[in-house]
This record gives sequence, C-alpha cells and structure tokens, in this order.
Amino acid sequence: MIELFDVTKRFGSETAVDGISLRVEKGELCALVGTSGCGKSTTLRMINRLIEHDGGEIHLDGQPVRNFDEVELRRRIGYVIQSTGLFPHWTVARNIGLVPRLLRWPKARVRERVEELMHLLGLSVAEFAGKYPRQLSGGQAQRVGVARALAADPDILLMDEPFGALDPITRETLQQEMRELQARLHKTVVFVTHDMDEALALADRLVVMHQGRIVQQGKPIELLHEPANPFVESLLGGLDRGLKEAALIQVSERMLPLGPRLLASERIPYGAPLSQALSVMLWHRVDRLTVVDEEDIPIGELSLRRLLGAKTS
Amino acid sequence: MGEGRQSPNWVLLSLMLAAVAAWLSLDAVSVAPNRIVPGTSHMALGVMAGWPAVLLALPMLAVVVLAWKPGRKELRLSLVAVVTLLALLPLWLSAATTVLVEPDMPQARVAIGRSLWLVLFLLLLATIELRTRLGLSRPLGWLLLVPMVSSWWLSLALWLEPLALLREYQARSDQFVSALLAHLILVGAAVGASLVLASLLALAMRRHAGIRRTGFAVLNFLQTIPSLALFGLLLAPLAWLGSRLDWLAAFGVSGIGWAPAFLALLGYSLLPMVRNIHVALEEVEPAVIESARGMGMSRRQVFLQVRLPLALPVVLEGIRITTVQAIGLTAVAALIGAGGLGTFIFQGLGQAAMDMVLLGALPIIVLALVADALFGSLSERLRPGGAA
Repeated sequence: MIELFDVTKRFGSETAVDGISLRVEKGELCALVGTSGCGKSTTLRMINRLIEHDGGEIHLDGQPVRNFDEVELRRRIGYVIQSTGLFPHWTVARNIGLVPRLLRWPKARVRERVEELMHLLGLSVAEFAGKYPRQLSGGQAQRVGVARALAADPDILLMDEPFGALDPITRETLQQEMRELQARLHKTVVFVTHDMDEALALADRLVVMHQGRIVQQGKPIELLHEPANPFVESLLGGLDRGLKEAALIQVSERMLPLGPRLLASERIPYGAPLSQALSVMLWHRVDRLTVVDEEDIPIGELSLRRLLGAKTS
Repeated sequence: MGEGRQSPNWVLLSLMLAAVAAWLSLDAVSVAPNRIVPGTSHMALGVMAGWPAVLLALPMLAVVVLAWKPGRKELRLSLVAVVTLLALLPLWLSAATTVLVEPDMPQARVAIGRSLWLVLFLLLLATIELRTRLGLSRPLGWLLLVPMVSSWWLSLALWLEPLALLREYQARSDQFVSALLAHLILVGAAVGASLVLASLLALAMRRHAGIRRTGFAVLNFLQTIPSLALFGLLLAPLAWLGSRLDWLAAFGVSGIGWAPAFLALLGYSLLPMVRNIHVALEEVEPAVIESARGMGMSRRQVFLQVRLPLALPVVLEGIRITTVQAIGLTAVAALIGAGGLGTFIFQGLGQAAMDMVLLGALPIIVLALVADALFGSLSERLRPGGAA
C-alpha cells in the first residue's frame, strides 16, 4: 500500500507538485494521467526517492519512505521507464538479473529467476538471453525492461510511460500482456501515462492531475460518468466518452440468454467490449448479434437496445 | 555490395592508373658511389631492359580493368594482385640493386626513387580501399601486410645491403635502438601521466562548474602555444629549478633534455585527454543512469558498473589521439636534446642526408600508425554490446 499525505515538491520558485494526497491499495493499479508538466512523473519519482519531496509524507505499508535507506528502498520497488534504460553493454539476461545480483542472491538462483521471468514475458531464453539491447525491437526491449523491474519480485511497481515510445500495435499488445500479468501477479502499481485510452484500459483507479494538483480520482467508470470539471471531461474524450465507456464494459454484462428467435447471423465473443459490438452492428447494419464463447458456440444474444443499457430487449 | 556491381570503383581505378603512370614515367631508383656524391637516377623501364618493370605493370593494369565492373569476385582478384605486387616490389628493388651496383663499388648507395615510393603508397591505399569494400575484419587486414613485410625483411637481409636507408641504420644501429626506446619512453610517460592527471581533472570538473570553466580555458590556451615556443618557455624556469634544487638536478632536470620535453608533451596531451574523458562521462544516456539509480544501484555502483564502462570507448579514443599526437611531437623534442627518433631527422637535415631523415621519419610514421590501429581496435572492441 502506498499513501501520499499532502505531498509537495518545488523546483526553485516553481511548484511541481502541490499538496496531493493519494492512497493506492495493495494489488491495485493506479494510473496517473494528465498533460505533460502536470507533475505526474515527479509524483512517481518521489515514491522511490529519485526526487525528494519537500513537504508532506509518503508512506509504504505505513512506513515513511524517508525511514528507508534510499538504495535499499529502490531495490524493493520495480521501476520501468519509457526508453527502457536498459544497459547497452549488458546482455538481456544480465540486465534482467540486475536487482537480484545487487541483493546478492546466489548465482544459480539469479539464473533461475531470469529464465522464469523471460518465460513469463514470452521471451525465448535460447534466443534472447545472450542478445544486447540494441539487437532488440522496441517491444522486446520494453518486455526486458518489465522483466528487469519484476526480477526481485517487488510488491510495488512504478511505471513511467512504459509503452509511450512504442508503435500503436505493439503498445496495444503490451497493454494486453500487462493486464494479464497484473491479473496473475497482483502488484501494487503506479502507472504514469498521458494516453487516456491506456489508462482506461489498465487502471483500477484513475487519478487525473493538472498543474501539480489532483483534479479528480476514482474508478475509470466513475470519472467517465461524473467528470469533475470540463478539463477532465475533455481529457476523457469529450463527445467520444460514450465509446470509451463502452470499451470498459464486456458484452457478457449486457447479453441475454438465447431466446426463441432465430440466431442473428453476425457473432461477437462474450469477452469483447461493447464498443466492438457496436462497431460490428454499425458495419453490418444489424441491430442484433449472437454472443459466442471461446469455442464459437452460441451462448446468448445482444440487441442494440440492450447494448444501449435498456432493461429488456 | 550490390550497388558496386554496376558502377566502376573510381577510387581503385584512379589509384591504379596513377600507379601505372608513376611507375612507368618517374625515376624508381638512384645509385650513388658514396654518401657524398649525388646519385644517378634510373627509371624502372631502364633497369634490366625494362621487362621486369613491364611485368609488374601488368597486374596494375589488370586491377584497373577489374575495377571497371567490381563484383565481389573481381574485388577479391584485385586484392590478390595488389598484395602480390606489394610483395614483389622489394624483390624488384633487390634485382635492380644487384644489376646496378657493380662489385667494385663497396661504398655504393641505392636510394628508393619517386616512382617506387609513390607506387608503394598507392598500393597501400588500394589495400585499404579493398579491405573496406570486401568488409574484411581488422585482424584479416593486418594479415594482408604479412607477404609485404616478410618480403621486405628477406630482401633487406639478403640482397639490399647497398640500400642507403639500411646503410644509415647499420652505421648507427645502437643509436637507433636507444633513440627508439627514448622515443617510446617519452611518449609512454607523457601519455600515462596525462591519463592519470586528466582523469583526476575530469572528475573534479564533473563536481565543480568553476574548475570546468577555468580548466578548459587554460588547456585550450596551452594548446595554442607552438611546440617550440613552449619548449623555450619551459627552458628558463626548469634551468632555474635544476640549479636550485640538487635532488631535481640529480634526477636530470634542467633547461634542456627530457624534463621540458616531458612537461610540454604533458601539456599538449591534457586537452584532448580531459575533453574526451569529460565528454565520455557526460554523454552516457541519462535514461540509463536514471534507471540504474531507480533500480537501486549506489552512486559508486552506477559509476563503476554503468558510467565508466559506457565511457571507456570514448576515453580510449582520447588516448589514441593523444598518443599519435605525442609520437609526432616527440620528434620536435629532439631539438632541445630530449633524444628520440627526431635526432636523426634533425641531424640528417643538417647534413643534407635525406636517407638519415628517413631513418627517423619512417619509424615515427610506423609507430603512429601502429598506435592508431591498436587503440582504434581496442576502442571498437569495447563498444557497448560488443562486436556485432
């Protein structure tokens, strides 16, 4: 659990972070969103003390971060940055094993852990262990970056625009993998991004920052329904908000059991988001879809009225 | 490689055309009855009825033709031709020497003429061009020189006794070895000391902006003083120190000799060294340093395991530049009695004996090239991510 109490940071006369309070529960993924210069990266880096805060307190599991030795503290916290920051003169395996080595794990255990992590992130050990960072694609390098952050199995993970430099397709793949990873590992994650779609897709809690202050925080769906002010509303996409909300709801939440009517010809997987179902309806100009499971077996149906949120079909 | 197949390799083409022209039109060798009398020049075509010269010109012409459509096969053939030519030239010189020097001229001296120098130079350039085109590795590139070096060695040992350069060497071989050693020691000491000093200075500069500003200003100023003037400037204070402090005098410190030379070399070496070390340490990608700190490396670990290894290739680059520069400057230091290979150059100039000048200049060139190649390949090897 990470708690910030009235935390402030000034650079000279400029206040970068202005009295923010925040609580990230254990196992929660909290996304800090805002335009550049809003203080989100500074907030993140105050947690692992790459930047020292001027006022207020930051607690990890109830302990002020200032009570820890800063080097010890950082070894307990995973850290991923946009440009990966992989060491160009070290192989992939050596990069991933960095923190375990700093913690003086026995060699065999480090190797075992590195291989485990490479499997976890879908990097073939035989192919990648001996490669150098410059031989990797952007997506591969970022996977190595995540593996390195996870190496010593930290409870807390700080991610600063980790997928920001990737092309859209790779970014979406890695977001999907990140979701699956988080579902398995339940780390306490603070995730900085300026991409609202990314934040909506990943976050349990969304924190919108503006000019060093927290403008609004809550579950993504809450922010979508009740944006605190026009700034949050525009950040959430203005008129596109409906589609962003639809992207957060699964078809299975709105579908009805198969009725007596004939099956609709177009199909949609039950795990797909409503936005996709709407897109299929628009494309084929139909108002009814057959919902199928993983094996493509019909299990229900979804009408346009249900999709829109009406109680009955 | 693919694009080379279509258009001619103009570099190779012009190099070899120039070589053929020089070989057939300029004097290749000159013979003098003794050290004092100027020699008579001979064209390559004028020696041994000219047919060996023509035979040697044929492979050069062949390379010209091959360079017209330089596929990989053609380039390989050219390389074989060029390497063979380089090995054959000393043999031609041996043959020419045997023919031109009559047995009743025990003092006769053979000097290498313009065309032979030019052809040697052009062929070496062609070797470099071919090595680059064919993408041969550095060690393989060095291997290409083996036939030439062994052929020269063999010729010098067996047949080239009248070669003026060799005569000059034989007349003072002890002196040559000690001059070479003095040269190497002076360069080594200056570069070594400047590496230590520059490292300390660069580290201090990273800490304090004030030291950085004044440091670079002073070093830049030092660099602008001509070397002879710097030797002169050091003369008086060092002479004074040597006369005042007995232990310094016992150490050999005086206005002339190794002390001013060493100090001047040190002064010149500092700027490139400090600049490279400073830039190397500063230019490590900030994201790498940030993530190193974020992962929980201590300051010491960040410096020793990340910053320093990533800076090392650029530092070596600085050592390379400094060493090559110091090898050249040490030649000038002979003027103030510091010894070294420059001694032969200045003595030779004084006696108008060009071969003696060469005896000093050639080893200096070779030393500079070897130092350059050595540190160059070392720095390449240490590049992040290793050799590809």
